[in-house]
Amino acid sequence: MLDPTILILASLADGDKHGYAIMEDIQVFAGIRLGPGTLYGAICRLEKRGWIRAVKSESRRQPYRITAEGSLELKKQLALFGQVVRTGNRRMKEA
Amino acid sequence: MRTLIRWAARLYPEAWRNRYAAEFDSLLDDISPSLGDLCNVLGDVLRVRVTTVADPLLTLAAASSMTLRPPVVLSLTAHGLMIALVLVAAVGYVTPMPSHRVVAPLPPPAPDPPLQVTDARVFPNALTLYSSLPLMPANEDALPLYVADGVGINFLALPDIGAVYQQGNTEWRVWPGQALEAFIVRRVLPEYPHDTNNPGAVSVFVEYLIRRDGSVKVLRTSGPTPFTTAARSAIEQWIYRPLGYENRHCEVLSRVEVRFDSEFVQNEMR
Repeated sequence: MLDPTILILASLADGDKHGYAIMEDIQVFAGIRLGPGTLYGAICRLEKRGWIRAVKSESRRQPYRITAEGSLELKKQLALFGQVVRTGNRRMKEA
Repeated sequence: MRTLIRWAARLYPEAWRNRYAAEFDSLLDDISPSLGDLCNVLGDVLRVRVTTVADPLLTLAAASSMTLRPPVVLSLTAHGLMIALVLVAAVGYVTPMPSHRVVAPLPPPAPDPPLQVTDARVFPNALTLYSSLPLMPANEDALPLYVADGVGINFLALPDIGAVYQQGNTEWRVWPGQALEAFIVRRVLPEYPHDTNNPGAVSVFVEYLIRRDGSVKVLRTSGPTPFTTAARSAIEQWIYRPLGYENRHCEVLSRVEVRFDSEFVQNEMR
């Protein structure tokens, strides 16, 4: 299973979202339902690393925004995944 | 089930509850929680508790001459933590979740992309703080970002990220190396000092200032001399695009680890 932090960064890449919206979005694009504990555990880690930040909101639903560092990390991870996928596909063809 | 999960969420540390309880509660209202979600929350509670509590057994094992096998240490630690968790709950350490009307305080905002920083903290006693900051070691899990000719370069954790150091009319703003990657024009990698008698892996830490014109001046280094000299002479040849804050050019402080490893050289020669 993919690291939930990467899924959250990917979800926030196209705009701010609150916890429930992130959960729904990930279920749509990755087919994975994050549990509430996993979701907020990952959000907490991402905030500590400075990869996302809370955006001011009047609502109880707290939206989050990806930071520049978060975007860079996401790009780095996606590049790594791309390399793994390419290598895996090539080796499966060779086998 | 929702009530059970709310009860389970009370087992999170107080700092976590103060920060996330209100929105976590809101999330529970939005979903139809299942037994799996309850287990998921309990699992995360345990993870948070484990990662926020110091491990006394590991410290003991490191300090004594006794040899403890890692599985034994892990097992004892897990049991100890579980017992501690129950005791903490029993003595009333767990406090009620804040009501919905309580607005959880936001953490200090992380810095935005370099040209949009609006929340940099200002330290009036900048010189005192600055001189007390050690050059931080990099995360051991991090891989060297650039590796060539026997050296790797890592970005360092910056405890004062977003700070503004003021000295007279001069301001230095602290930005992370990752954010500066978009602005680098020329990077020169240090050469491995082959004349050294230390053939192993050596890390040196370099703090540098990017001047208004994009040129680099090394402020501090930490590590053995032949390696710091090599790192300093290379980094002072780096060039960045001029950096700005609120449409004004500014000077920016950052820190990197330069890792010299003879294995990098040997790998390249193979």
